[in-house]
Amino acid sequence: MKVLEVQGVTKRFGGLVAVNQVSLEVNEGEIFSVIGPNGAGKTTFFNLLTGIYTPDEGRILFLGQDITGSTPDKAAKLGIGRTFQNIRLFGAMTVLENILVGRHIHTRVPYLHALLRTPLARKEERKALEEALSLLEYVGLLHRKDELARNLPYGEQRKLEIARALALKPKLLLLDEPAAGMNPKETEALQEFILKIRSERGLTILLIEHDMRLVMRISDRIAVLDYGSKIAEGKPEEVRKNPRVIEAYLGRGAAGGAA
Amino acid sequence: MLEQILVLLPQVLFDGFILGFIYAMIALGYTMVYGVLELINFAHSEIFMIGAVAGVEVFRYLAPLIPNGYLLLAVAVVVGAAVAGLAAILVERLAYRPLRRRGTTNRLVPLVTAIGVSFFLQDLVRLIEGLWHNEFFLRMRTMPDLEGSFTLFGGAIFIQTKSVIVIVVSVLMLLGLTYLVNRTKLGMAIRAVAQDLSTASLMGINPDQIISRTFLIGGALGGVAGVLFALIYTTINPYVGFLPGIKAFTAAVLGGIGNIPGAMLGGLVLGQLENFFGTYLPILTAGNFGAEYKDVVAFLILVFILLFRPQGLLGQMVKEKV
Amino acid sequence: MSLLSLALSLVFLLLSFLAPNTLTAFLGLGALGVAAFARLEPRVRTLNLALLTLAFTLFLRSSGNTLGLIGLVGILVALTTLPRIPRGIRVALGLAILLLSVPIAGFANTFIFELGIQIGIFAAMSLGLNVVVGMAGLLDLGYAAFFAVGAYTWAIFGSPQAGKFLQGNFPLPGEYMYLFMLIAVVTTAITGLLIGLPALRLRGDYLAIVTLGLGEVVRILANNLDHPINITNGPQGITPVGRPPIDWFRSLMGALGVRLDETTDYQLFFYLLVLVMIGLVVLANVNLANSRFGRAWVAIREDEIAAQAMGIPLLPTKLIAFMTGAAFSGVMGVIYGAQRTFVSPESFTLLASITILAMVILGGMGSIPGAILGAAALTILNLDILKTFSEFVRTSLPWIPSQVDPAKYERLVFGLILILMMIYRPQGLIPEARHRAELEEEA
Repeated sequence: MKVLEVQGVTKRFGGLVAVNQVSLEVNEGEIFSVIGPNGAGKTTFFNLLTGIYTPDEGRILFLGQDITGSTPDKAAKLGIGRTFQNIRLFGAMTVLENILVGRHIHTRVPYLHALLRTPLARKEERKALEEALSLLEYVGLLHRKDELARNLPYGEQRKLEIARALALKPKLLLLDEPAAGMNPKETEALQEFILKIRSERGLTILLIEHDMRLVMRISDRIAVLDYGSKIAEGKPEEVRKNPRVIEAYLGRGAAGGAA
Repeated sequence: MLEQILVLLPQVLFDGFILGFIYAMIALGYTMVYGVLELINFAHSEIFMIGAVAGVEVFRYLAPLIPNGYLLLAVAVVVGAAVAGLAAILVERLAYRPLRRRGTTNRLVPLVTAIGVSFFLQDLVRLIEGLWHNEFFLRMRTMPDLEGSFTLFGGAIFIQTKSVIVIVVSVLMLLGLTYLVNRTKLGMAIRAVAQDLSTASLMGINPDQIISRTFLIGGALGGVAGVLFALIYTTINPYVGFLPGIKAFTAAVLGGIGNIPGAMLGGLVLGQLENFFGTYLPILTAGNFGAEYKDVVAFLILVFILLFRPQGLLGQMVKEKV
Repeated sequence: MSLLSLALSLVFLLLSFLAPNTLTAFLGLGALGVAAFARLEPRVRTLNLALLTLAFTLFLRSSGNTLGLIGLVGILVALTTLPRIPRGIRVALGLAILLLSVPIAGFANTFIFELGIQIGIFAAMSLGLNVVVGMAGLLDLGYAAFFAVGAYTWAIFGSPQAGKFLQGNFPLPGEYMYLFMLIAVVTTAITGLLIGLPALRLRGDYLAIVTLGLGEVVRILANNLDHPINITNGPQGITPVGRPPIDWFRSLMGALGVRLDETTDYQLFFYLLVLVMIGLVVLANVNLANSRFGRAWVAIREDEIAAQAMGIPLLPTKLIAFMTGAAFSGVMGVIYGAQRTFVSPESFTLLASITILAMVILGGMGSIPGAILGAAALTILNLDILKTFSEFVRTSLPWIPSQVDPAKYERLVFGLILILMMIYRPQGLIPEARHRAELEEEA
């Protein structure tokens, strides 16, 4: 089944075409990576999928439903979770509270119940707490639960951000450069973690990443963006050999690119 | 009724210009500070008021020495600009700069500070005037040679000499500012800081100094506006800045906040609109809704602009980076 | 240290009997300072606070000096903030102060009741604004507008005013006030919706100036809607606003052995009513803070984009915060109008909005005890200390011009408080845990 279908999506900022006629499909359970040189439009593409930007052209279908131009909160409610390139945790809230916010849409307490803290509200809150704690245990952050998110070390902040997105119980998880700033050992752990959540939580994952080793090892399929256009798509080994991809990376002397 | 409206129209337009020029001058202070700091400087309305009070005091003390009204006004304008400009620099130094030093990211903090400064200055001036003259409702002394008037178009427009002075001084000020911003090194630095503070500082511009001078220039313009306001409306008190201040801010938003020609245009447009509604609302509603609703109209304009064209008439859209 | 501190409290207790004058009061405040800030054993500190409660109560009973009230407020703050005091003692002492000490003082000097009621009304409103500014991070500069809508909601129908534009028998009987407290919740929430729907779409600093403008619009309407139809009676305001009959309250108090006269009965009644309201408002505040709504508000304050990515819709969530704050203010407006029996546009200026904001900021944005402390401190400052200072200036410093009347300089004081707090202690006097982290790190 197709989780995500992107059909000819274009986004312009003034004269600049940030995303140009991009189409792709992501199947259920896949890890699909979007790569490309800096400024290729990857993050803009994510922002189009999550409703932060509205495409100028094209359609986006999520589980067969048209979500073109919906708002970020609606996308989240439908089951699209995401992380951000520059970590956006709720820094002044505790680790546990961050997870509870991630669980917001599943905590069904009407306003008056919350105001009066009725038995229903207590029950839902208790359930939320239990689930949040078990999620923290799952990702190995339980011992940090009462610390402020901003006081966590960088690697754990990345992890918490993923956990917070998991609390949404998304069907599709968008990870925007999760390995940025990590050393090889941390990246390896991240790789394990991504594979684990994919298989254990039945997730489909869309990944933006610069670390080519990670991308090549983990991805089922890869799409390559350059100057906003999709220049290649296929299995890791196909993409690796694609001359246009090599040109896009090496042609600009980005030696660290294609591994 | 239509006839009544048409008869009044030339006068309404003329009076709207006077109000508009005063708003434009105040609006420049808001827009310049917003340009460099992204801060709504609530205290700017009090800088304007300080200029007005300075003007009153110059007239009070120097009228016996300078019998020529024009000369006296020139002195008042200079003093008003200097006092208000200095007050603006002091506010920046004492209240806003410490916050910048701390590098606060919470946007509420500078805003709340600005409101605090605004309130503080109102009563500070009241205190000073109270100690000085034992009164704080002030009257601008009248100078006989400034009190003339004439009519145009067979009596269709009644023009006071003072109005002409306001227009002349404002236009000079606005032209001077345009020259300063576009043609001088300082102006270029101000625009650079407004574009991108951190890059500008990498280019060897001292941002604190430029911010200080921005407050000085904005404050001085506000001070001149205050003196002219006092000249036209003659009664002044420490709380007189509030309404013109919020309207001038509206004008700045209307023109596109951060945009200097926009502030001038916004001021003129708002002056016209306000004067228009103030005059015609009672006529159109047969006296049921009077001129007191003109402030409501200004506030509603502010809301509508922000909702439907937040970049204003001349501004450019800025989108938060995700 | 422990002995010294206890001795100080005992001396104050003794002097409260012998010489209950201003000097003694300052001694008491000093003793309280030592008890609160010195390194004391928890048990000694607790004993000290109990002694001081007793002493300030006695002091107030014999002197009626409002400095004693400041002492009681100080003890309440100490009880809510100091660590390692047994919970039972915190509650017992707190209740004793609110239910016994203050009423006892009030019978000695009815101005104490007046202060208590005003503090209570403003504390409840600060708690409402705290939801908006403190939790959700929305700077509302027109908060007094909701207070006005609440006050007018009852004032119009609880006085003959409604008869000027409606058919029917007005004023409504006083007991309708309770019903109108509920109605005011609805009318102010709707006003909040009307103001919030456009305003809350805007970014933070624009929100501030738009709420300021729309708050002014409400005041201008109150000032001018005496024509073409006389709804608000314009600048003269509305009087007399009805109060509920309190025969039941008199007999209840009589049964408890409290003898009331005609000045104190309504004062005590409104004092207790306000206490109940604060209790409810605090409860609502705590409940909301610990619910999905409270968390969503803080999340929005921290990062709107991340909050949206968690499925939190911005506008509706902000609107709920805004309407909640509005409703708190509206209920207190009803009580305010009834207690003073008079409502006029003058009470709802920008100054009122800024005063409430200053209370929240002084106490600490997001902090519940902070909002109450802020309200107490600024109300006492405004109604008592500045007035006393004025009196002092008039009598003792005749060379100061008559226009310089310290009581008229609230703006100077509130402005200074806002500036100094923002520069030196943005997290407030009793910071909320989250803000403490955020703002201290910056400091």
